Amino acid sequence: MTETTLFPSKQWFQALARLMDKDESAYRDLGPLECTMVVKVDTDAATHLYEVVFEGFKVQSVRELKSLADAKPEHFVIEATLSIWREMIENIRANAGPDLTHTLNYLTFPDDPMRVSGPDQLEVDAFYRYNQSLQRFFNAAAEVPTAFAS
Amino acid sequence: MSKYPPGKYTPAVEVGLDRMREMAKGNFDLKWMQSNPAGWGHKVTPGPAGLRLRDVDTGYYGNVPEHGSTHGSMAPRGCEVPPETKALPMYTMNEMSEVWAENAGLLYDEAVVRQWNSVTDVPWDKLEKLPDDIERAVCQMCTGLTEVEFVAGDMPAKWLHKINHDFHEVKLFLASQIFDEARHLDVFRKRALANGGGLLMASPGQEELLAAILEAPDYTTASALMHIFGEGFVLTLFRQGEFLAPTEVEKAIFRLCMQDEARHVAYGVKHLKYFLERHPNRAEEVHKILDIGEQAIFTLTLEPQTSEPRAILAGGGLANIDVGAQRMAFIYAKQVKEYLRRLEIAGLNREPRLTIPKEIPYEDLAA
Repeated sequence: MTETTLFPSKQWFQALARLMDKDESAYRDLGPLECTMVVKVDTDAATHLYEVVFEGFKVQSVRELKSLADAKPEHFVIEATLSIWREMIENIRANAGPDLTHTLNYLTFPDDPMRVSGPDQLEVDAFYRYNQSLQRFFNAAAEVPTAFAS
Repeated sequence: MSKYPPGKYTPAVEVGLDRMREMAKGNFDLKWMQSNPAGWGHKVTPGPAGLRLRDVDTGYYGNVPEHGSTHGSMAPRGCEVPPETKALPMYTMNEMSEVWAENAGLLYDEAVVRQWNSVTDVPWDKLEKLPDDIERAVCQMCTGLTEVEFVAGDMPAKWLHKINHDFHEVKLFLASQIFDEARHLDVFRKRALANGGGLLMASPGQEELLAAILEAPDYTTASALMHIFGEGFVLTLFRQGEFLAPTEVEKAIFRLCMQDEARHVAYGVKHLKYFLERHPNRAEEVHKILDIGEQAIFTLTLEPQTSEPRAILAGGGLANIDVGAQRMAFIYAKQVKEYLRRLEIAGLNREPRLTIPKEIPYEDLAA
């Protein structure tokens, strides 16, 4: 039986970070990242926040946050409901990468169903500036059998 | 008889021959080996991401002078400049505040590592035969973007050679931008030609804005108009391009261009911030150039060759162009919102001065 990793969880993002390590040459081709991404997952019962700090070609740290105030001051937030995150991850897993309507940019551009925000516009712009690398980071979900919180 | 009799050549060549005669006798100068003692023995440690500009521009070599060196030569910052070095008149931008941005070195490092090319990095083999209206819409969008990208390279090129060499971080960044823009105009033009279509109609509305960028009275106002205003708006168009992309090919093109454009915007915001912190009394000059830019972009946004292809793509075809236009109405408001927020970071409160609507109430206008 295949072992699954729960989404959202710190372990799930750590699994993507380990895959990023294995895939370093591809990330080197894309270029270095210097940004902090906060993933916000809303469920009916609660809001979950995970901070992923990227430096160079690696994830420097993954933390679960109690509130957005605990995040590094310079960050951007990608937020969506759990069902949307689930749809995106399942799409990536089904196609070994997102189809045309499940890329990060596609989902966030109209601010619905996903939204990118940040303390200032340059932080939000970091999401655009590192978009290829961030997309590749999430594309690694194709290799992470995932269970979803109910 | 000597092959080099005195008087046969010009004085400059004679000096060179004299020097070679001395070297042939074993008389070397070697003074250069003892030059610049303050700059010798520099310690550098590469980081995990490689040897970046900010890794080498530390200590002695990290001192950026507020007023660029007055020797007026091409000598790099930090070397010893012999007193007889000839001053050149072309370096007229000698104040750090005229060009500096604290992120220029970082953005240059990022730019050179994040290079890509339109020959092999776009999955051209995934191009598909598209319905005629969709192909025409893509080709028109690419025609307009090619036009824009020409000026985005011309503007930094216009100023680059005037900038004092002491500000090499900025010069390097602008050089990387010129190549980014070359790649953009190349890839959009290539896409227009690659799938059985071709270039369609140029945009007269666009020309007005593009001319204002090139005719700006100084570098900072040109940068505010292009890096923050123009490229900020285009960054949103690139995001929209990825959103509307009918195939993986356009997806890849717009995603790659989006990253480059965000770097240019980041430089512009930080440059304007640096400038206004030192010259708050010059904010009015920036406002005035933005007045011109806003009027031009409004005309451009609503020009048929700009707005209609996007509406066709958003609606899924010409038959649904009205649906597409409604679907994309939010874009303009997003552009204006992000523009105002970027200026806010730079220290310019533009909102009370905004000369265009913050949003276009498409449904009200249609009623």
